[in-house]
Amino acid sequence: MRVEYINPFVEAAYNILKEVLNAEVNRGELYLKSTSMPVLGVAAIIGLAGDVEGRVLIDMDKPTAIKIASAMLEGMDMEPITELNDLGKATVTELANMITGQAVTKLHNLGFKFDLTPPAIFTGDNMEVSNADVEALIVPMEVPQGKIEINVAVRERT
Amino acid sequence: MGKTRESAEKDVEHIDYKMVTFSLGGKDFGIDIMKIAEIAKFGGFTYVPNVPSYVKGVYNLRGDIISIIDLRGMFHLPVPDTESEQTHNGLIVRVGESMIGVVVDSIDKVVGISSTDIQPPHPIFGDINIKYISGVVEHDSRLYIILDVDKVFSKETPPEPIATRERTETGAPPGDVPGPVRGPTDMRVSDTAAELGFVHETLATFLRFYVSEVNSAWVEERFRDWRTNRAGEASQLKNAAEAEKFIAPFFSPHTGEFWSESYASEFSSIIPETTGGTITVWNPGCGKGYETYSLVCLLREKLPNKQIKIWACDIDLLSISTAPNLVFASAAAPDYFDPYVHESNNGCSFDDTVRDAVLFEYHDIVNEQTLPPPDLIVARDVLSFLAPTDQKRVLADWFEKLKPGGVVIPGTHERLPFDEGWKRLDGEICAYTK
Repeated sequence: MRVEYINPFVEAAYNILKEVLNAEVNRGELYLKSTSMPVLGVAAIIGLAGDVEGRVLIDMDKPTAIKIASAMLEGMDMEPITELNDLGKATVTELANMITGQAVTKLHNLGFKFDLTPPAIFTGDNMEVSNADVEALIVPMEVPQGKIEINVAVRERT
Repeated sequence: MGKTRESAEKDVEHIDYKMVTFSLGGKDFGIDIMKIAEIAKFGGFTYVPNVPSYVKGVYNLRGDIISIIDLRGMFHLPVPDTESEQTHNGLIVRVGESMIGVVVDSIDKVVGISSTDIQPPHPIFGDINIKYISGVVEHDSRLYIILDVDKVFSKETPPEPIATRERTETGAPPGDVPGPVRGPTDMRVSDTAAELGFVHETLATFLRFYVSEVNSAWVEERFRDWRTNRAGEASQLKNAAEAEKFIAPFFSPHTGEFWSESYASEFSSIIPETTGGTITVWNPGCGKGYETYSLVCLLREKLPNKQIKIWACDIDLLSISTAPNLVFASAAAPDYFDPYVHESNNGCSFDDTVRDAVLFEYHDIVNEQTLPPPDLIVARDVLSFLAPTDQKRVLADWFEKLKPGGVVIPGTHERLPFDEGWKRLDGEICAYTK
């Protein structure tokens, strides 16, 4: 993955999580992976196109998703949720949209042109994601509600 | 009650791997039961001349002639004195189409385990070469080493040089073949081989430097020097610092700095003639980018009319992060950089014509990636830091992707295997074509 792309994603994830959860956010060590990866349980996916092709996956387990969605909803004076209902899913989707949106804005300012697809959310157990020919950058984030993994797989159009 | 049954069922459910366990030299080992044809006691083998000492001979198993291998001999484990020469405990193992008889100390039992409990072997395993081990598992507070039968007996693994040499020096086990009397000289050579083997393991553990045919010639020579220079002291590498000292002369000229004028001009002479308007270069293991920028500048000078496209990558995130915007002192830059460098308050940096030619990526070359086929691959001291299987895969990938007439430049002390079709080019710099 192109070096210039890394920071915008890391910074965006950090800023947005800190802002919406209003809490301490710790970034784990970044690493690369290319084999198929287990998905924790709730995954929001956003496609990227333009100078590059690829996708961003925001991945967390279900209890974390519920807690994060609740924290975001409470931040807007709404009732917290106890199960991952439509509102909860929409909230997690929005989080993914915010992170990717900010990252793409940062990249745009650096001169890279990206387009986004509308986000989609997957939930379920024992899911895996694989892009055998693109390696993914994993950005682990620790928040009080649990662990979130930002999984970015993009490549240059050749 | 219900709960106990449930948990019992759960346990049963988990057992998906059975292995026959046995002991070799007093240690516990296991082999996947699916590989075992039968458990037998045999003896009276027919001696076969001119075979490695661990081959006991051949044996007539109800009409089928099978070879008998003594695993203890193969793995240099001690043979208990009490063992009678007449009958041996053994296993008949299926390897592909054929059967092989294996002599062991004693057969223990069949153990059922869950394959998820199998743990990968630790890189510094003592007696047995790690590639023969498929994992380690604990059962009933005993630790079993699970052997990978296919690897142990595969035909195409000519065990690497250390093993071969050690074997010839160990001679035949007593009472089998009238082998040469082991003198002090034999012992010394065998020790050297063992120490060299230890060095290989230490380098892999501390520095992830893997000895293979790419670099074994250098390592052996370096080890001889190392021993000579450390006369009286232990020649083994005791810690990471010593391993680094051992490996220090391995690196190619100008690692981590800009290439000098003379190195660049030498390098320039092996750049392949390409057709078309673009020269594509892969530069894995580019580190902080000194190598990559040197490459761009010398290519610009040599091929002023071509478009240059360099794909540079490294697995060290910290190094590669600084590469796209490298700033350096003007004193560090050789003269041939002059047209492409501009100076500011913070130091010197490259202009856009150079920067736009390179794309730095955070990338592990072990993972697959789609890039345009290259005219030139500059991968100095990269292969040696990949596990041997990955080295092979990466080399095969390069061989496939490299354009006809293209050139690969490994490290100064690295050699590409000739039997895979690589041809060494003449000249000071180690370069290969296919």
